[in-house]
Amino acid sequence: MADMKTRTPSGLVHPVGGAIAAGASINARGLTKVFGSGENAFHALGPIDLDIKPGEFVSIIGPSGCGKSTTMLLVTGLEPSSAGTVEIDGKLLTAPISEIGIVFQDHLLLDFRTAIKNVMLQQEMRGLDKAALRERADALFERLGLAGAENRYPWQLSGGMRQRVSIARALVHDPSMLLMDEPFGALDAITRTQIRHDLEMLWLETRKTVLFITHSIEEAVGLSDRVLVMSKSPGTIVEEIVIDLPRPRPAHLGEYPEFSKYAERIYRIFEKLGVYKF
Amino acid sequence: MKPNPIMQRFLEPVLWFAGLLLIWEVLVRALDVPIYVLPAPSQFLSRIVEDYQRLGYHAFVTTRLIVYGFVAGAIPGVVLGYLIAKFRLAEQVLYPLVVFIQGLPKITLAPLMLVWFGFADFPKILLTALITFFPILVDSVTGFKSIDPRQYYLSRSVGASWWQTFRFFELPSAAPSIFSGFKITVVIAVTVVIVVEWMNSQNGLGYLVLRGMDDSDTSLIFAVLVVGSMIGVVLSWGMEVAERTLLPWRRR
Repeated sequence: MADMKTRTPSGLVHPVGGAIAAGASINARGLTKVFGSGENAFHALGPIDLDIKPGEFVSIIGPSGCGKSTTMLLVTGLEPSSAGTVEIDGKLLTAPISEIGIVFQDHLLLDFRTAIKNVMLQQEMRGLDKAALRERADALFERLGLAGAENRYPWQLSGGMRQRVSIARALVHDPSMLLMDEPFGALDAITRTQIRHDLEMLWLETRKTVLFITHSIEEAVGLSDRVLVMSKSPGTIVEEIVIDLPRPRPAHLGEYPEFSKYAERIYRIFEKLGVYKF
Repeated sequence: MKPNPIMQRFLEPVLWFAGLLLIWEVLVRALDVPIYVLPAPSQFLSRIVEDYQRLGYHAFVTTRLIVYGFVAGAIPGVVLGYLIAKFRLAEQVLYPLVVFIQGLPKITLAPLMLVWFGFADFPKILLTALITFFPILVDSVTGFKSIDPRQYYLSRSVGASWWQTFRFFELPSAAPSIFSGFKITVVIAVTVVIVVEWMNSQNGLGYLVLRGMDDSDTSLIFAVLVVGSMIGVVLSWGMEVAERTLLPWRRR
């Protein structure tokens, strides 16, 4: 851990306000989502229970359309749930919370704003201190290998760079929770491995609570403290796998024999659920 | 030498067009067509040069009406398009009405407008606005409905206000569709104004066309046709420039 400190840029150790923001805890009970009503009702998700500790990196993995993305939206109140409760840091969620950072598969950056201005959107919308946020944004750009790209527009950046800008935007206001919905799904394998590592390093420094939605076993095992495996629609959590691998994890996860064991366990569950038919 | 893309884009059509005019010119002269039936291009083009002051004045009058009418139709078109796309109630109440009115041949309302509002600019602007309003409304609804729902999650997650959501997320997403409506409609507006000017006007290109008809002065009518289409070209080119300036990422 000693060399971690030397790698930490000052902008991220003492975020806005001076205190290091700890991650939030998430506790959900009986979370359910039904779209529509009557005969057309579609039971998309749940009921599921979730318990995520502050600063924990948790992945939800499951087949397409199982409701993993919906879970993320329900937990933050961005989408209202049909039943169940969510507590963030012990407080019952009644309205959408905005003390979060969110990254989607598509970057969803504003085309008419430069990279840095996309990140500073957080400052503008939340009315935060401009100089302090700019300092944090610069530190994040440096950290994410985006230095020099500040004044470029999204269409002038590669897919990987755009996702890096999205990550910077999700973290610049120092939220307690980072939500990622298949953030690397549209990237090529080489870019994905690098950005996975960069995200892990960033998380080790900041210890946000991360809810990471993915359909990649490699990503889930490579990043998480815990992997929750979800069934086909209506999604429920069928298994919880604690990933006990040292950090930071290597580019080639096969270095750990345990990795194959974890991966195999997930494949087995998918086979049992009928996700795979071989 | 590599072919210049600008040359290809502009020179080629210009050459084709010039060739066509040349054939026209040769045919009219060879067959000795009387000028009141079909003037040769040289005749109505030189008419534009000779009569530039008169044509310029009437073109200005018409252009002013086009711009006023277009703006008066476009603003409510976009606003109502937003409301219909955004609120179910607005969609249920307004959209059937919109579809019905869109089917009406609205130009037939022109005499009614003149009866109601007199012969000044107002009824002309109103009718132009009415006709430009609907296509813009339809394109705005399409634009505002095309927004990726995750944009809303994102805007909520950054704590954006209503205005910020509109300004940063909704309007830019809808803008390409709105602009395509603008570009088509502004050309339609040229026709509408000229037609409305047929009805009891003292000036404008439509008035000039009627004078040309009364005097069997076909070269004047053709001159107006050229000037009118130039107005259309310039206005739609202006829209193109506005779109490129406002939405530079669309240039790719």
